[in-house]
Amino acid sequence: MIRSPIKPVTKILLSVLSVAFLLIGYSWLSDRQHLENPNDTTIPSWSQLAEGVERSVKWNERTEDRWLTDDAKATVIRLFSGLCIAVLGSCILGIGMGCMAPIEAFFHPPLSFFAKVPATAVIAVFMALVGLGMEMYITMIVFGILPSMAISVYQAVKEFPEELQYKAYTLGASHMEVIWTIIFPYVLPKLIDSLRLMIGPAMVYLIAAEMLFGDVGFGYRIRIQSKLLNMGVVYPYLVLLAGFGFTMDYLLKTLQRKISPWFEKQH
Amino acid sequence: METETSPKLSLDCQSVSHWFGTKKVLHDINLSVERGQFVSLVGPSGCGKSTLLRAIVGTHLPRKGEILTLSQDPADTGTKVGGPGRDRGIVYQHYSLFPFLTALENVALGLKLDETSIGFRTFRWGAWRKLRKKHLKQAADFLDRVKLGDAIHQYPHEMSGGMRQRVAIAQALVMKPEIILLDEPFGALDEATREELQKALLLLFAENQEAKKAGKAPPYTLIIVTHELNEAIYVGDRLIGLSQYWDWKTEGHTEFPGASIVYDQTSPVFEPHDIREFEVFEDQRNALRNEVFNPDRWEPRVSHLK
Repeated sequence: MIRSPIKPVTKILLSVLSVAFLLIGYSWLSDRQHLENPNDTTIPSWSQLAEGVERSVKWNERTEDRWLTDDAKATVIRLFSGLCIAVLGSCILGIGMGCMAPIEAFFHPPLSFFAKVPATAVIAVFMALVGLGMEMYITMIVFGILPSMAISVYQAVKEFPEELQYKAYTLGASHMEVIWTIIFPYVLPKLIDSLRLMIGPAMVYLIAAEMLFGDVGFGYRIRIQSKLLNMGVVYPYLVLLAGFGFTMDYLLKTLQRKISPWFEKQH
Repeated sequence: METETSPKLSLDCQSVSHWFGTKKVLHDINLSVERGQFVSLVGPSGCGKSTLLRAIVGTHLPRKGEILTLSQDPADTGTKVGGPGRDRGIVYQHYSLFPFLTALENVALGLKLDETSIGFRTFRWGAWRKLRKKHLKQAADFLDRVKLGDAIHQYPHEMSGGMRQRVAIAQALVMKPEIILLDEPFGALDEATREELQKALLLLFAENQEAKKAGKAPPYTLIIVTHELNEAIYVGDRLIGLSQYWDWKTEGHTEFPGASIVYDQTSPVFEPHDIREFEVFEDQRNALRNEVFNPDRWEPRVSHLK
């Protein structure tokens, strides 16, 4: 029957089965490839993957670096810097636009326009404007996600019932208190939802920028190792990226439950 | 009626008119509400009841005339309503509570906003914590009074419609405003819950009576907008009928100038524990139907007669 629930045990079994299918399918593909060419690295065997992981985590005496930690550090710092600025900016702009008509009139048209422009298409402009340093990666993420997030915060503020705003005034709230004490807690879970949706695009923009201009970072390593057909290094990096995305999503969902327990129950 | 600056008055609407573009809504409304009165405002659909209420709340100010709120201070000549303020409490039919706050936090919110600022709460954390405890205690007491002592930690979406409206009433009461405005507060509730809440309002009215007997100022003044005539008569001690069906032509108008007050009478006072029998006010109900709701009958307006 459509939309009828299944038993939890069945659900877990099916989930485990899907992962098992993936792993078995991969093993089969890899075996077939290695039968044709025993030196193939495009679909590495499990032992080649283990070698790739070892190379990533091992200290390299010659280049004096450890790929995984160096790349993770660079990518995470860039990602979080961009995300922090984007979240703060979208919060200020979204709430400002939702509360003040002049701010709405001034910022809404350009934000609506920039929200439609893919950040990767503007990469050359960023390079010319801010150079190739940290600023470029941050600009890429901020430009890529701030307009969409600001608009979703703005829409959440617009949905805030007028009656509650009036009521807040009758309870003695100042304008600033209406924004900070009433509207902000109301839009906060929606901001978190919006951020959860934007983690993926932010990572896409960052990895793309690192692939093009980086000398360290996940995007850089994936590009270099892909060129060398060292997929034993590339695939674990991809798994790590997916794991990072899942973890971020889980942490944000937990944060939302913790600070806005009303939101999930209401929806 | 007392003079304009009488301390007995709680609210004074003076020649209030309102219109939207070419659509005339209210015409020359003069309405004084005495401290302790429970005024029921009734009228046909589209007569401007909600517009008048919004004007009093201050969210949609009247185009003409002014509305004054008066405190108990005998020297108070009235404060002109220029926007929503903490001297007027409001209970709406929908969106009556803040969804992100529990019942207790909803009731304590007004105390927090009224007695502290963002700066105080941020930089004087110790003092704020102490005050917060006091506010929560006060809020819990008010929730006890509306029989919701067991539901203080529930969020609005976890409560029934009746419980939400009780919390909303407690939220307004805790602020001790000069006047409490209720905009169709029980409109979405079932009959049993409605009766329960009507009796809760009668309990407040009984408190007013006791205060008067003790020589004190009655603590609650209330205007309730309702489309339900029985409720209006049962809850209020004064009935105001606002209607678009009034004899404006005899006042020399060539086109409809807006709705006005056509009915202003006292209504019987009930004890909260009395059995609710609507038959006893059938005459008044019929009078209201004839004078306020009948499109074929054109009553002279009350303020015009005065």
